[in-house]
Amino acid sequence: MIGTGIKRGTAELAVLSVLEHGPLHGYEMARRIEQQTKGALRFTLAALYPMLYRMEQRGWIRGAWEISRSGRRKRCYRLTAAGKKKLSPLRKEWSELFSALRRLTKVSHA
Amino acid sequence: MLDWEALVERQLNGLALEPAERAEVIAELAAHLREGCEELRRQGMTEEEAVRRTLSQVEDWQNLCQKIESAKTKENIMTNRVKQFWLPSLLTLLLSMGLLALIQVFGPNPWLVARKSGWSLVAPVAVVYLPWLLSLPLIGAMGAYLSNRGEGSQRAVFGSIVFPVLPYLVFFVVALPLMAIFNDQLAHNIMFGALFVGLFAWVLAPGASLLAGGLLAQFFLSRRQDSRRIAGS
Repeated sequence: MIGTGIKRGTAELAVLSVLEHGPLHGYEMARRIEQQTKGALRFTLAALYPMLYRMEQRGWIRGAWEISRSGRRKRCYRLTAAGKKKLSPLRKEWSELFSALRRLTKVSHA
Repeated sequence: MLDWEALVERQLNGLALEPAERAEVIAELAAHLREGCEELRRQGMTEEEAVRRTLSQVEDWQNLCQKIESAKTKENIMTNRVKQFWLPSLLTLLLSMGLLALIQVFGPNPWLVARKSGWSLVAPVAVVYLPWLLSLPLIGAMGAYLSNRGEGSQRAVFGSIVFPVLPYLVFFVVALPLMAIFNDQLAHNIMFGALFVGLFAWVLAPGASLLAGGLLAQFFLSRRQDSRRIAGS
């Protein structure tokens, strides 16, 4: 079973990565992550928003209300300077973890 | 058509946040659910089925309530501003003031100098001031490092570096001119001379010294981050 720390880490990395390409509101963010990971990562409302609020508190993202083309108010999230700074070491950590796991599983299969 | 905002408000009844913040959360979650439901309807689902599927995203509203409260309040204990600006700034201020006091207490005492008019006491200002000035780059570097560690923006890092000279700046730029304006007994020609000397000795020179160390540290820290970024990509 994947621990909550690992789950939270991957989820944060996913959010920071999609926001790197431009501001998005919560629903669009969840859809984009699902599409880009071909359904491997899915965010429900209950999982997404507490995480977005936590990341906002840490100063990694900033939310602001905007009016969409359809005239509806939506809260769009943007990556802050601190978020951009956080993204690269986070990517490195995860890439190292996955390489280590790949090496480990190759060894155990051999 | 279902009133999503009323539904979310009902479900998050116990959400203990400030009224404005609470209203924002409710509006945001309602917008998310509405959009999800509309998407399912576009895919051909009946309204009843679409609402049921949309609401299945939240198994336990009470639990969601607690998670939102925790996310919005727990990490407020040490806010980012404290980590990124106030803590490094106050530490650099404390260190620079403390160091100056230590040099004054334990540094060289005034000495007697023979002059034509007789013996006189000379206070070794330069002996106290110069070591302090030379120690400031280290303090500035520490401010930059701490603010950087707290993931501070460029502005927060800069503020943390120069913070120790801000009290002097306020004194020389605000307090001293005000004194000159309101106190008639002060000799204004002497006052302005003192103002510029003070401004240079206690603001510009220490500020430059702090910045020399701080910006150098910031340069190396950002280079280290860049190299990590390259290695990570």
